[in-house]
Amino acid sequence: MLFTRRLMLGLAMAGSIVSALAVPAMAEGPTEIDLFFPVPVDGKLARDMGTLIKEFNETHPAIKATAVYTGSYDDTLIKTRASIKAGKPPAAVIMSANFLLDMQIENELTNLDGLIAADGTTKEKFLGQFFPALQGNAVIDRSVYGVPFHNSTPLLYINADKAKEAGLDPSKPPQTWAELTDWAKKLTKREGDKVTQWGIAIPCAYDYCGWMMETLTMTNGGRYYNEEFGGEVYYDTPSMLGALTWWNDLVYKHKVHAPGATPGPAVSTSFISGNAAMMMLSTGSLTYVRDNAKFNYKVAFIPRNVRNAVPIGGASLIVPAGVEADKQKAAWTLIKWMTSPEKSAWWSRATGYFAPNMAAYKTPDMVDFLNKNPDAKTAVEQLDVAKPWFATYKTVPVRKNLEDEVMLVLNGKKQPKEALVAAQKAADETLKPYNAETSLKLP
Amino acid sequence: MSLAEPAALPVAASAPPHLHILKRLSTRFKTSLPAYLLLLPSLIFLALFTYGAMGRVFIDALYQRATPKAPLRFVGLDNISAVLADPAFTGAVINNLVYAVGTAIPSIGLALLFALALARTNAVTSALRAALFLPVLIPMVAASALFLFIFLPNVGLLDYYIGRLLPVLPNWLGDSDIALYAIMVITIWKNAGYYMLFFLAGLQSVPEDVMEAAHLDGAGPWQRFRHITLPELKPTFLFVTVIAILNAVTQVDHVFVMTKGGPSNATNLVLFYIYQQAVEHYDIGKASAATLLTLAALMGLTALSFRTMANREGGA
Repeated sequence: MLFTRRLMLGLAMAGSIVSALAVPAMAEGPTEIDLFFPVPVDGKLARDMGTLIKEFNETHPAIKATAVYTGSYDDTLIKTRASIKAGKPPAAVIMSANFLLDMQIENELTNLDGLIAADGTTKEKFLGQFFPALQGNAVIDRSVYGVPFHNSTPLLYINADKAKEAGLDPSKPPQTWAELTDWAKKLTKREGDKVTQWGIAIPCAYDYCGWMMETLTMTNGGRYYNEEFGGEVYYDTPSMLGALTWWNDLVYKHKVHAPGATPGPAVSTSFISGNAAMMMLSTGSLTYVRDNAKFNYKVAFIPRNVRNAVPIGGASLIVPAGVEADKQKAAWTLIKWMTSPEKSAWWSRATGYFAPNMAAYKTPDMVDFLNKNPDAKTAVEQLDVAKPWFATYKTVPVRKNLEDEVMLVLNGKKQPKEALVAAQKAADETLKPYNAETSLKLP
Repeated sequence: MSLAEPAALPVAASAPPHLHILKRLSTRFKTSLPAYLLLLPSLIFLALFTYGAMGRVFIDALYQRATPKAPLRFVGLDNISAVLADPAFTGAVINNLVYAVGTAIPSIGLALLFALALARTNAVTSALRAALFLPVLIPMVAASALFLFIFLPNVGLLDYYIGRLLPVLPNWLGDSDIALYAIMVITIWKNAGYYMLFFLAGLQSVPEDVMEAAHLDGAGPWQRFRHITLPELKPTFLFVTVIAILNAVTQVDHVFVMTKGGPSNATNLVLFYIYQQAVEHYDIGKASAATLLTLAALMGLTALSFRTMANREGGA
């Protein structure tokens, strides 16, 4: 008899002594957790985040959360991965919504189903709080991996004063590509060969460029990638060719869009300074435009060629893999608090992102705010036609495969067709290992 | 036995000199021990963080992970050939060569000009020296953020002034033909003041009496510069050139802040390519292979420059 009663008792006692020693050590002071947060758009997001976390810590004495600024969406992914590799992941991260699939493939995410169940609720009920369009980027294989925090859609921003000046009616913004081209032509001013005012600006820098291509492709009737499976993108398709050709025409045929690749901040600065009369940009920049534009502006749906559609943008809250149980719990408290109707409404007003929690729009403060700022409604209305955001295996490199080629087109180095063929080839190459393991692995 | 007997003799005879050598070695060791002890901390760090890391890179370069769930697999030199076949890498190498030559020559030239102009010490030259040295003190990331606004198309500081003169306003960082030269400007602006310091120090070593003698012999300023100053500055030139080339490979902060290697890899440099492979593509094997190639090139270059320096000293 190896397991005598005495031995068992001894083990149990040893166990209780160990846990008795361990528990007070852990109970000392609040649970300290880190929250990684990016700032992908214009404005004073970092200061607002400080205000939000301060309030959380004041109302939750058992937890001490620290907000850590981690740069752009792409940088935040890199820093999160580095910290997971180093064995010290932050308890929560505001992660670009389309990186979740890639991270799940790499086993870098905590499945949130358990934490939801521990609250005595169901996945359906929990997700039911959020706009349906957001769920595609939060749920993978029927498990919840992310909680939508701040989300965006692209918008068309119009300088209403300049439109009136050009004899256009800003209360009837362009609804189709043809109308937009027409507006852009009328809003472009030249002195000889030199353009002093551009009709339209569309950002193209790594990250933004892919999102804008997805936007144009969707309004042109297309899909961008396989929403169900991480191994396929549709770069070399008629809908994307049409989209890139139109963008190329704005630059080189109609000459109403500046050539070259322009990052988001340069586009918004150009719009604010009156150098560009219209721009396509995230609703995340809305508060920045509202605070800084010294002219009347108007926001509108992204014009369509075939149909109205936009991709979701923005970020979700995630818990990286490898976070200890007590920190997971603390992170979950923080995540639920941040995505509650009141807080997500406050954050939406502060930044311009829309609030993913539908109940946020029923809070009195938000109703008030929307009455005063009807421009904040546009992104929410556009949600009816919103689709999930591009997510594949190795999302960033696959996205860059396209972006590098689009930049060549905007720089006048390639024609749209050859660029898309090259992008497709490069992306297929990047996706090959994943397909070899999944879709090409035959029984 | 009889054969072993005579053989034993010389051994016995040579024993005292043998001991003597040991003694000499031990005294030499005793005197140099403090020196080694003083070097030890540096040696430990060098071993841990330089040679250890290099060894790790060497091993990592031989392995590849096909997919996230697949185990590491020994692939030999496959990673090296994959890197060499990658147009992004060859593009980065060419960009880096253009960048190295295009930043080293102007910044060294400017540094020499500054040093010659400000060689004499007085209130004005001290102030100017400080002004020229100021960019060195600004962190590269901050400087890049600054230049991001200067280069802003249409509304930036540069276009605000130059835009009036040019027929078409260039998109400085967004045009794949211009972007690399735009970021080179920052490097030149930042490094010229730094290299100036070395030339200022170098000018101190130009012997006063030789200069005076040449002056008395009727040598003009150009002749004196050409035949006395320049040869005296030769070691400084060599040193600064090596630093400038190393800087061209190791400074990528501005690429990171301003262009992320874009548009379409036009500003991608070798170190940034390695970073991309490691953290964006999550491909440690390829990143290590690219690191090895870069290390080999840099070591070759450094060895060459040391030899050149040694030869020069030998000849002098």
